[in-house]
This record gives sequence, C-alpha cells and structure tokens, in this order.
Amino acid sequence: MQKEITQTWFFRQSPPEVWEYLTKPELIEQWLMKSDFKPIVGHKFRFTFTPKADSKYDGEVRCEVLEVTPYTKLSYSWNGTADKGDRTFNSTVVWTLIPKESGTELRLQHNGFAVLEDVLNHSSGWNSCVKRFEELINAITVK
Amino acid sequence: MTTKQTLDVFQVIADPSRRQMLQLLSNESMTINSLADNFDMSRPAVSKHIKIMYNAGFISITDIGRERYCTLKQDGFNELQDFINYFDKFWTSKLKKLEAILNSKIKEK
Repeated sequence: MQKEITQTWFFRQSPPEVWEYLTKPELIEQWLMKSDFKPIVGHKFRFTFTPKADSKYDGEVRCEVLEVTPYTKLSYSWNGTADKGDRTFNSTVVWTLIPKESGTELRLQHNGFAVLEDVLNHSSGWNSCVKRFEELINAITVK
Repeated sequence: MTTKQTLDVFQVIADPSRRQMLQLLSNESMTINSLADNFDMSRPAVSKHIKIMYNAGFISITDIGRERYCTLKQDGFNELQDFINYFDKFWTSKLKKLEAILNSKIKEK
C-alpha cells in the first residue's frame, strides 16, 4: 500500500529557472493553479481552481509556506476539503531542486500522509483477522 | 457519546492511541474491554475512540452476548488510499504541463 507521493522529474533548465516556476504566481498559474503565493515562511495563501462537475474537491487548497531555501527547497502545507466539507485533508508538499550537469532534477514529495505509515504497515493482516473473527463467532454459537 | 463524531480519515489516524488500537485490531478482533486493558485510560474514553473509528469506517462492531467485538474494516483504509491515488495522478498531470512549458521555452531559444 502506497503511503506517500514521491515524483522525480528532470528539466533542462537551471535550478533558478525552475525555481521561478515554483515561486512566481503568474508562472505557477501556467501549469498548476491560481494562487497568491509569496516565497516567505509563514505566508498563508490559497490555490484556487474550478472543480469539475463530478469532482469531490471544492476548488480551494489552503496553504502556508513552511520552508524557503532559494533554488534548493520549498515546502508548504496543503489543506483542503472534499465531499462538500465532509472530508478534509491536511498534508505537506515539499519541492527539492537538485542541480545536474545538464539541468535540474525536481523532486516532489506530498506527504503528511506520513502519519499513516504505522497503520498501513499493519493493514496486510486483514483477511486473517476476519477469518479469526468468524471462527470466534462460530465457536460461540456452537456453545 | 451523544454527539456524532465526524472526523475525517486523516484526523482519525492522527491520534496515537487510535493508531495503536488499529494496530492491536490488525492482529485480532477484540472486545472493547480487552482493548481498554492495553491503555491507561478509562473505558468510556476507549469507547469514544472506538466510536470515532467506527464512524470513519475503520472498524465494525458486533455484539456477541454482553460483549462488543471490534474488527478492522477496509472502508476507512480505502478512503486514505483514494486520496493518495488522486493526488499522485494530479501531480503527474500538472508536472507534465510544466515539462511541456519548459520544453517549449528551450525550442524558442
């Protein structure tokens, strides 16, 4: 079972060029969403989008900048709601830029989901526990 | 337990005691009393946690005689997995877009 999202992408631009696309709202909007992002730790901002008619999500992600290390690392919280406010999600997005000879490696981690780890590690034992429960019920009814 | 607890799946498992309860239940189905034996909290407090996990679809409760048995249920875990899958796809499509923009910039040069 997957516990967090990690993606690695390679771009032929230098880290400062890629950094611009992560930190300038007019550039972020071109590929991600509209936002009032500022690269200042503690700055609270929102990503907004128009949800599809059948989407569970409500068109807004509330964020707070957690870390800014120019050209190297950017992190913000990523909180939102789905199912008309019935479900919320609190997670963290971390961008890491690694300079390479011919460009930049961009790593995305979306977790906070990390809190799940110890639960999900134990989730494989279900079938057996359900069986044991059946045995237990059967044993009791026989008496 | 008069108020209905409607915490989301992430809030449910954010609590260390509840995570520990789910772990215990992953080994075997347990009565609320036997679960409570593992924790330094009152039985009503344990019941409250159980109720929260029940409402979020992490466990089912079966009454057998005077005992209430708790068993892990897949629904809550599936919902977590849905979130992760959704955002994984979301980022793939967004980063593809970024890649296309950056590639076209190189061609312009």
